Amino acid sequence: MSRLRYLLSAALAAATLGAVTGAPLQAEPLRIELGTPVVEPMPFALPRFVDEGGAGDMAAEISGVIAADLAGTGLFEQIPQNAYIQNITSFDAAVSYPDWQAINAQALITGAVQGGGGQVAVKFCLHDVFANGTLGECLQFAGDKGSWRRVAHKVADAVYSRITGESGYFDSRVVFVSEAGPKNQRQKRLAVMDYDGANTSYLTDSASIVLAPRFSPSGDRILFTSYSSGFPQIYVMDVGSLSVRGLGEQPGTMTFAPRFSPDGQTVVFSLERGGNTDIYSLNINGGGLQQLTNSPAIETAPSFSPDGSQIVFESDRSGNQQIYVMSAGGGEARRVSGGAGRYGTPVWSPRGDYIAFTKQNAGRFHIGVMLVDGSEEKLLTASYIDEGPTWAPNGRVIMFARQEPGGDPMLYSVDVTGRNLKRIPTQGAASDPAWSPLLP
Amino acid sequence: MDKGVIISGIGHICLILWVLLGDFLFSPSEPPEPAVTEVSLLSSAEFDAMVASSPEATPAAEAGEAAAEPAAEPVEQPAAEPQPDPAPSVKPQPKPEPPPAKPEPPAPAEPEPAPEPEPVVEPEPTPAPPPKPAELAETLPVEPVPQPEPVPEPTAPVAEVAQPVPVPNTSKMPRPRPATRVAPVPQEAPQEPVKVAEEAKPEVSDTPTPETPVVEEKTEAAAPEEATTEIVTEATPQEDAPTLAPTSSRKPQSRPKRTAPAAEPAEEAVAEASTAKTAEKPAAKPAAKPAAKASDSASDSAGASDSATDDAVAEALAAELAGAASDAPAESKPAASKAADSKPAAAKGGSIAANGPPMSAGEKDAMRVAVERCWNVSTLSTEAVRTKVVVGVTVGQDRKPVATSIRMVEASGGTDASARQAYEAARRAILRCGSAGFPLPADKYDTWKEMELVFDSKGVGL
Repeated sequence: MSRLRYLLSAALAAATLGAVTGAPLQAEPLRIELGTPVVEPMPFALPRFVDEGGAGDMAAEISGVIAADLAGTGLFEQIPQNAYIQNITSFDAAVSYPDWQAINAQALITGAVQGGGGQVAVKFCLHDVFANGTLGECLQFAGDKGSWRRVAHKVADAVYSRITGESGYFDSRVVFVSEAGPKNQRQKRLAVMDYDGANTSYLTDSASIVLAPRFSPSGDRILFTSYSSGFPQIYVMDVGSLSVRGLGEQPGTMTFAPRFSPDGQTVVFSLERGGNTDIYSLNINGGGLQQLTNSPAIETAPSFSPDGSQIVFESDRSGNQQIYVMSAGGGEARRVSGGAGRYGTPVWSPRGDYIAFTKQNAGRFHIGVMLVDGSEEKLLTASYIDEGPTWAPNGRVIMFARQEPGGDPMLYSVDVTGRNLKRIPTQGAASDPAWSPLLP
Repeated sequence: MDKGVIISGIGHICLILWVLLGDFLFSPSEPPEPAVTEVSLLSSAEFDAMVASSPEATPAAEAGEAAAEPAAEPVEQPAAEPQPDPAPSVKPQPKPEPPPAKPEPPAPAEPEPAPEPEPVVEPEPTPAPPPKPAELAETLPVEPVPQPEPVPEPTAPVAEVAQPVPVPNTSKMPRPRPATRVAPVPQEAPQEPVKVAEEAKPEVSDTPTPETPVVEEKTEAAAPEEATTEIVTEATPQEDAPTLAPTSSRKPQSRPKRTAPAAEPAEEAVAEASTAKTAEKPAAKPAAKPAAKASDSASDSAGASDSATDDAVAEALAAELAGAASDAPAESKPAASKAADSKPAAAKGGSIAANGPPMSAGEKDAMRVAVERCWNVSTLSTEAVRTKVVVGVTVGQDRKPVATSIRMVEASGGTDASARQAYEAARRAILRCGSAGFPLPADKYDTWKEMELVFDSKGVGL
């Protein structure tokens, strides 16, 4: 037995020592924790696209639009072309990655433009410079020469999407209220422009005041409020034909603040009847009017969640303006805003994660975002008047109207993080912006 | 009785009564002395008058007197005395220092810096009174001191203990007046001091003047100042020396070396397990010894009369121990081959790294910072920013990452798409900042040749 004990103890000792010595042998590699990244624009190089025939100056213009799109996000920074070492003269030429690494270009966009027969075709490649290869496949977009800017936006969207993992928003439009004239005789008309302020065109004349235009999910229709009948009434416009028809017209009522449902088949809006304002829904064809709220308070600015199951709106039922969320079919609403001040014009993010809003507090207006449950409120701007937020199609950028004391309202955009606040160039005063979905 | 006795008795009685009652009746009414108030009045009024009217430049003599007087007349009146003395010496503002330093010693000490400091240091070289004071007042707000007189008092303590402490006194003296006079000028002054700075001792001269009083007599005031500066500089290198810590890191190296070679002896031990030769090194010992003991016991048991169960148990244990020993070399072989090839190793390949000298916290921080400065999350989606990814990478002996070895080990907190984006950002960071080589200690290659970098911004970019 003593020998057995000895053997057992020896075995245990061996096992223990084996475990001790074996552990380091199987230990994992050196592990280092990193938790403080930098947040700075990614430098990219975009040599002028090669003209492969018939493009002329369009090659440079397309290159410029692409670069402006990317740099305008605040996420990218173009390296000046005079710093480039390699001269790209052919789309098929081999890329000398060390030359681009030398100037710290993290992304390289090479491309070529063909123009002929009223068409323009743009092909491009996105290179991951430090990986010495392309990031995704090379692509080509084509279109009418008159739509060369859209082609450029398409290229920029593709680049943006590949690098960030999010869809782009450059090939989109914005409808807004263009304002002109003295403030006591303000003329307002609907206008539409590219997201960057280019290609502005007017959809209505100045005969009547128009407010709160909203794109349909497909971008082919626009809801808006007009005083053409003498009192506010919602209308729907076909963007292609500019034809307009009224919605939910009922004698003795005022309707305003309309917005499409995600499927484009339903419209929610505010209806004032007998001094009380509630939220209603209506089939886009004009039938199926349904009252969603029933409160003596003023309830307005409804906005669908991306899945169409909920509606966020503003109400002063608690005594001052706050934001509430209710089912798309109506019913009891829950308040989601809880901070000091007044909250209004809530808009659900296309991604469904945030609700953008206007906040008035301590004599200042803010554009802010909060999670759909009201938590993590974050104010992105602060100004004399900031109002009317609208989401970019990818939910990354918010556009809104800002008015400084004594000035006209102008359009601004800001990243959802609060960075890259910038003014959108418009022809004159502008307010009430509404972003379209990404164009097909 | 005798009349004389009576008279003397009466006289004594009167004397006694006078003694008893006289003090009681006449004791009060002596104290009142207005002289004190007059002294105070003289100090303030005369001082201003003296300051305004006295152009004389006999500072050294007066300073000597002033110093002597305050020392002799200890307490109350020193205020009145010092003021008059400094007043004359004050105009050449440099003088504020001379009084404390006892004129003569500082004067010789400063002559060296005298040409330079004139704007700044002159305080001691009382010589050029009228012109220089003006310059000093402009250049140095600190020096223009009319009331430095308190300085004489500080000198008294110096005489007692001879401690260099008087520095605060000197500083207090210059400060009070400069504030009122110099206020507008200060910006012009710096230019002149800059010229003084050429010799790099202007500041030293400032500080030494306070020290000179401490030295009491020696004119080497400059020497102690330099000594102080040198001490400072020496201190830093001394601090650097310990921080180098290469020695401390070398100690740990020896540990890993012991363990690393253990793999080879382990192989030998396995091969010789049957012969029961024990390996010399620690790692091999545990495996070899038990194996030998087990085999010995097994052979002994064969010829012994113990029960068959004991033999069976012994054989089983011996077999298991032999198998365990043979497994160890099996693992060590690939590790060794990987070390030789320096090719990207799998996760288990990190076993060698684990055997290498441990990285110090500073070395890890250096590596972390080197990668973080290239870790740009601005272009990541909000979801990707919240995604944590662990990226494995093999680093060559040139300290540069092997591009083909970069791989995503694991990801959490997001979708596959967000993990891919987060990984791409991490990969770019490694490649960009690794292109010039990471700041890694060459003598710990075995430790860092295989690394796993955990990129977890916790939504910082949002």
